[in-house]
Amino acid sequence: MSEMTRRSFLSTAWKVGFGLLAAAGVVTTFDLLKPHLAAGFDAIVRTVAPDAVPTTGVLEVRDARGYLVKVDDDVLAFSEVCTHLGCRVPYVDENGRFECPCHGSKFTREGDYIEGPAPRGMDEYATEVVDGVIEIDTTEVIAGPAPGSERT
Amino acid sequence: MLDPDPRIIGDKRLLGVVPGKPPIGDRKQPAEEDTVMVWPNLLVRHAVAALVVIVIVVLIAMFFDAPLREIANPTITPNPEKAPWYFAALQELLALFHPLVAGVLVPGAIIMGLVALPYIDRNPSLDPRKRQIARTAFTVFMVLWIALTLIGFMFRGENWSWVWPWEEWHGEL
Amino acid sequence: MKTSERIRKSTIGSSFFRSPDRVTERDRAAGHWSNFLLHLYPVRVRKVEITFKYTAFLGVASVVLFGILTVTGIFLMFFYVPSPTYAYGDIQTIQNEVAFGQFLRNMHRWAAHLMVLAVAAHLARVFYRGAYKPPKEFNWVIGVVLLVLTLLLSFTGYLLPWDQLAYWAVTVGTAMAAYVPIVGDLVQELMLGGPTVGSATLLRFYVLHVAVLPVALVGVLTVHIWRWRKDSMLTMDSDQGATDA
Repeated sequence: MSEMTRRSFLSTAWKVGFGLLAAAGVVTTFDLLKPHLAAGFDAIVRTVAPDAVPTTGVLEVRDARGYLVKVDDDVLAFSEVCTHLGCRVPYVDENGRFECPCHGSKFTREGDYIEGPAPRGMDEYATEVVDGVIEIDTTEVIAGPAPGSERT
Repeated sequence: MLDPDPRIIGDKRLLGVVPGKPPIGDRKQPAEEDTVMVWPNLLVRHAVAALVVIVIVVLIAMFFDAPLREIANPTITPNPEKAPWYFAALQELLALFHPLVAGVLVPGAIIMGLVALPYIDRNPSLDPRKRQIARTAFTVFMVLWIALTLIGFMFRGENWSWVWPWEEWHGEL
Repeated sequence: MKTSERIRKSTIGSSFFRSPDRVTERDRAAGHWSNFLLHLYPVRVRKVEITFKYTAFLGVASVVLFGILTVTGIFLMFFYVPSPTYAYGDIQTIQNEVAFGQFLRNMHRWAAHLMVLAVAAHLARVFYRGAYKPPKEFNWVIGVVLLVLTLLLSFTGYLLPWDQLAYWAVTVGTAMAAYVPIVGDLVQELMLGGPTVGSATLLRFYVLHVAVLPVALVGVLTVHIWRWRKDSMLTMDSDQGATDA
């Protein structure tokens, strides 16, 4: 390292000082504004008995912002939030599928991708039957299957 | 080099001539007769322009009410769902391409392209005949963007399907 | 002596104006040194620059629209609480009960749309007359920043009425940010302040809309106008004889 004069040291020092101050400001601002919330809606939503879930069509669960669907005796809970850009995806009875009003993404009743700009099938929530009632765990979103593949 | 005798110009004495650039640097200055005083020539025009703008806004505000739909409801998405008109082109692209392309890469490229334009187009000419490439490229972009905006704004109805604006109106301002 | 002249020459008047009424060109040139608003302008400009064909006055129209938006926006702020509980009702109150409330809201809304149009048209006009060429490159860049700030101001204001139009447009707009590689989810979370558009989002957008973005815009706009003034007397190379501007 070349010899450092007092002048060059001081001139570097104040620049570094301001740099550190700016960095501290950025970090503080970021920490301040970052929301400290768990993913999803952070709640277990109690719904209905498994027998009450229809075998055709879907059952909407407003509290969980999702749908319950019975496929081959299995109950699935889908998030109604479109995997494309977050619009609510309604179920269209006439066509027997989910159709997003925002950009025209379409999904089968089983939540698989049909067409449109969505990157994957509908997202899912874990369910569990407790005391004969289905509980939807909305704390964690399970990403839907890629286009072309089906949910297992 | 200097004249040994001090020169008298008008009532001023010339003490020396210094080589160098004029204060404005390399820039060319327009001749005096090609310019006009800002006060009053430009000021009065700006004042009139401001009045015209204010009158236009007041007139529109008197005859057209700003829209207010139903209160926000997270459980119902309106069909069709429209972005503000200046993002209608982006929304139209979003229906056609993967969101990474339409929502991030395209707008990013447009902003970066605009920022970089003066550094890409180094042709100094202001003559429209000598800058046809730049003008054509920009015009093509503008026409495309305006067309996409109009399509997204007026020609899209339920489930983002094609509609004719004179049959069903879905534009939102 | 005219009253205006007497005021100018009084003790208080002369301390305020610092100069006699300006009649001659020389007086007026001096005014650019002593008058704050006037010093935003150059003393002389090229003849072509005062024609409608050259600028269509789109820059000044954008500034005037921003002024309208500031004034009407301040009026609206007196009647608006940025919370999902009150926001929608406050807009209804403004429209139905506040004197001239509907008119003010209309002015604000339409001026906002017109400002986006005016700024975009200004950009196009500057492009076609080649006014971004050296040495004005950087002022073009500043102009692009101003366009982005204008769009952000308009977009943040769009959420404030808290109606269906606002809610879903912002849901879609912020979901787009999530697709940015690596930092996307973080950016979306910072904008929303939570998992979905909610009270935190409304407050964040409000603060951006009424404080952060306007202050940023005024700051950048000042530099933009200052650079315009500095460059206003330039003759660029092929300007001579070019009738197209």
